[in-house]
Amino acid sequence: MLETPGGQDYLVKVENVTAGYLSVKSFSSLTKTFTPVLRDINLSLRDGERVAVIGESGSGKTTLLKVILGLLKPVKGRVLIEGLDIYSSRKAWLRAVKKLGYVPQDPFKALDPRVKIKTSLMEPLETSRYSREEVNRLIKEAVKLVGLPEEVIEYYPSSLSGGMLQRVLIARALINRPKLFLLDEPTSSLDVSTQAQIINLINKIYHNYKMGILLVTHDLAVAQYLAERVIILREGRVIEEGFFEDVILNPRHEYTRLLVKSYMMEPI
Amino acid sequence: MVLAVESKGLSIGYLDEEDRVLWVVKNVDMQVREGEIYCLVGESGCGKTTLGSSIAGVLPPYSVTRGELVIYGRRVIKDVLRSYEGVRGKLTSYIPQNPGSSLSPYMRIWDQFWRVLREQGLNEKTAKERATAILKTLSLGQGVLEHYPHELSGGMQQRVAIGLSLATGAKVLVADEPTSSVDANLKLQLMRLFKDVRDNYGVTIVLITHDILLAGKACDRIAVMYAGEIVEEGDSTSVLTRPLHPYTKLLVDVVPMLGFKKTLASIPGEPPKPGLLREGCYFYERCPFRDEVCLNHVETQVIDGRRVKCWKPLVDKTTS
Amino acid sequence: MTIRLPTWIGSAVFTVKRVWKRRVRFRVGLIIVSAITLLAILSPFIVPYPSEGWGLIPLNNTNVSGQPPSLNHLFGTDDKGRDLFSRVLLGSSTALLQIVLVVGVSLVIGLTLGVLAAYYKGLVEYSLNYLIEVFLALPAILIAIPLKMAFGPGLHVIIASMVLTWWAWYGRVASVYARSVCEMDYVVIPKLSGLPGYKIVVRHVLRNVSPPVIVQAVTDFGSVLLEASAINFLGFGLPPDYPDWGVIAQNGLYYITKMPWISLIPGFFIMVTALGFSMIGDALRDELDPKLRRRWRLWF
Repeated sequence: MLETPGGQDYLVKVENVTAGYLSVKSFSSLTKTFTPVLRDINLSLRDGERVAVIGESGSGKTTLLKVILGLLKPVKGRVLIEGLDIYSSRKAWLRAVKKLGYVPQDPFKALDPRVKIKTSLMEPLETSRYSREEVNRLIKEAVKLVGLPEEVIEYYPSSLSGGMLQRVLIARALINRPKLFLLDEPTSSLDVSTQAQIINLINKIYHNYKMGILLVTHDLAVAQYLAERVIILREGRVIEEGFFEDVILNPRHEYTRLLVKSYMMEPI
Repeated sequence: MVLAVESKGLSIGYLDEEDRVLWVVKNVDMQVREGEIYCLVGESGCGKTTLGSSIAGVLPPYSVTRGELVIYGRRVIKDVLRSYEGVRGKLTSYIPQNPGSSLSPYMRIWDQFWRVLREQGLNEKTAKERATAILKTLSLGQGVLEHYPHELSGGMQQRVAIGLSLATGAKVLVADEPTSSVDANLKLQLMRLFKDVRDNYGVTIVLITHDILLAGKACDRIAVMYAGEIVEEGDSTSVLTRPLHPYTKLLVDVVPMLGFKKTLASIPGEPPKPGLLREGCYFYERCPFRDEVCLNHVETQVIDGRRVKCWKPLVDKTTS
Repeated sequence: MTIRLPTWIGSAVFTVKRVWKRRVRFRVGLIIVSAITLLAILSPFIVPYPSEGWGLIPLNNTNVSGQPPSLNHLFGTDDKGRDLFSRVLLGSSTALLQIVLVVGVSLVIGLTLGVLAAYYKGLVEYSLNYLIEVFLALPAILIAIPLKMAFGPGLHVIIASMVLTWWAWYGRVASVYARSVCEMDYVVIPKLSGLPGYKIVVRHVLRNVSPPVIVQAVTDFGSVLLEASAINFLGFGLPPDYPDWGVIAQNGLYYITKMPWISLIPGFFIMVTALGFSMIGDALRDELDPKLRRRWRLWF
């Protein structure tokens, strides 16, 4: 992988990050034990690049997203978004996070069940100074972009199916015109037929807006439709990375080879 | 050819809060042959879990039934009446989706085996031998018996759950989405395990899954379900390579495959919610081959030993 | 001009209508509770002997004391000659007042602290859990005794001692629900838009945690009444002249053999009211739990 000094060229640069969780042992002793989940991670993504992070459960892929979003401070290393170290100050983080659009994993848990879709879509725009008409316009545009009828905004999440909710989540992530799209298992909770629709939708959006995409999933086949580069994560470490074709045809690690093999149509 | 499970016109519904019936399985005729691995494949809401539950005898009390279900010649469902006495837990066994949850967390694995084997009148020594033998065929050592479920990994828990089912002496095992929470490289291993179990014990396995490619690899016969009906039933290789029903064909086409073309086919619209009833074909709105006739008329045809619920199935249209 | 009602009212009405149709227990309970509530609201206006009822004038009219129920005095008179019916009638309003105050204040405290602890986690959560365990272990009477000694009997004593123990219960229930709500992505995502913590807590966490906690609170009304009446009965809450069922029962304790109606009648009211509340609570809980939905089919 090419190493370039400085972070300015990259949209996202994760440098030597080690991160994990602290747990308090007991009140009296106040000792905390640190469990590392990610070790020495290096990752970089340029404007308009699409990268998939593949990992099984327990590999640390969700933690990686949290670190990039600024929700989990790494004990070592730093995260730069367009050159800004997001953990240096809250101000830096607030500036950087506006460029990110995040689509979480479970559509049923990602929308407040007590508010209408409209309100959920309005929320990301609150901190920016848009007028009422502009907000309404942006909401309608976003809903149209993801292929949902305009009436949807008056509904509550409980009236919508999984596929529609996923589209709403994508609309919400897009509404601020982010430069980087972060997707956490975007299709895992969906039916196969809906999954295909969402994959096509994401690709359509990409071809229109050419934003960077960072995708986290366990499904290698889905990832291949959505990204050009792939990073394989195992037990908190990057064990393989490169362009899709290279990794699939010439895996360097045994684990990768087995992973690719399990996706091939082989009889038992 | 002995039929392990057979259903005629079986319909199953659930009562909602207003005491209306939502039909999730509609008028299903299916046949599972003894000793085969039979897959119920479909997306969420298609009724496969309910159908599998009816075979295993674990339908909830607020469910309603119509039609007939026969297991090894014993009629367990006759219209609204159900009788699983001597069948549930003895002839059939259910392996739920999350295998860990079916194991009692307060008992050691051995105690759980003992509880099952004691029913069969075995003394403790013979029971222990039997349990050890079963675990051995599942690649688990005898030491597992001393452990508690939470001390075992997910994969081991799953195999213990299968072992317990085998210990009951059941001849029909119903496994509900066994590979859903399993990582990709372990999926094939698990399927291989089911095949070994079938070969060693001669049991009939009904597998419920949403993964049609997996079903094609692991099962002898597949029943594709949509909106509560079986739209296609037959030998798995031919169903996948030469699908007769438009839904089956699309279901195979929309699965993302590694290394293939960059644009993905998709089925417009969404799977229907349970409870909908109609005369014609339920797949009408989403079917690219639809015809006005389909809205009011649908018939079951038998082609090449396969059953299709479509009045103009895809004959002579080959897909790879 | 149409007034837009918040949606939860609509769903609450819908649920009530449905439970009414389906469960007898709910109907009986609701009738009882509505009757008592009606009495409580109207009592100050319809009480026949107001001065005696409120105990303002310390009566010691031995002429009419100790009379069994009659036309003049529907429930008879107590040992001091006061009309028992008036006292018991007014007792309904004090009962309801205590219930509402205790549950209301405890809910506010418990919800707020529970939600804050679950959201900010860390030391805040740890110390709150500790506090909750301590206060949950305290029986209200233990707090009532020193309070009464220090400040004399009165409404403030009973309310304060009960709130100090009941807040912990709602604090625990709230923090448990809030913990799972705070895991939800719809709490995490607004953070990413830069929304300040307090706004997220109020808008998303509180809104979603309140309903189940409030439902729990409503099912507690019966228990609150029983506990408050017990403390008043022991004399550590309201003063002996106050029109409260527990207090009245205590008044009549000494005369239980000669004038049993003085203690038995308020006792009966306490029992029936608490029963009414618990029936409503049971029916609501059964109805809202989908697993208990049953229609026993014929199994042969």
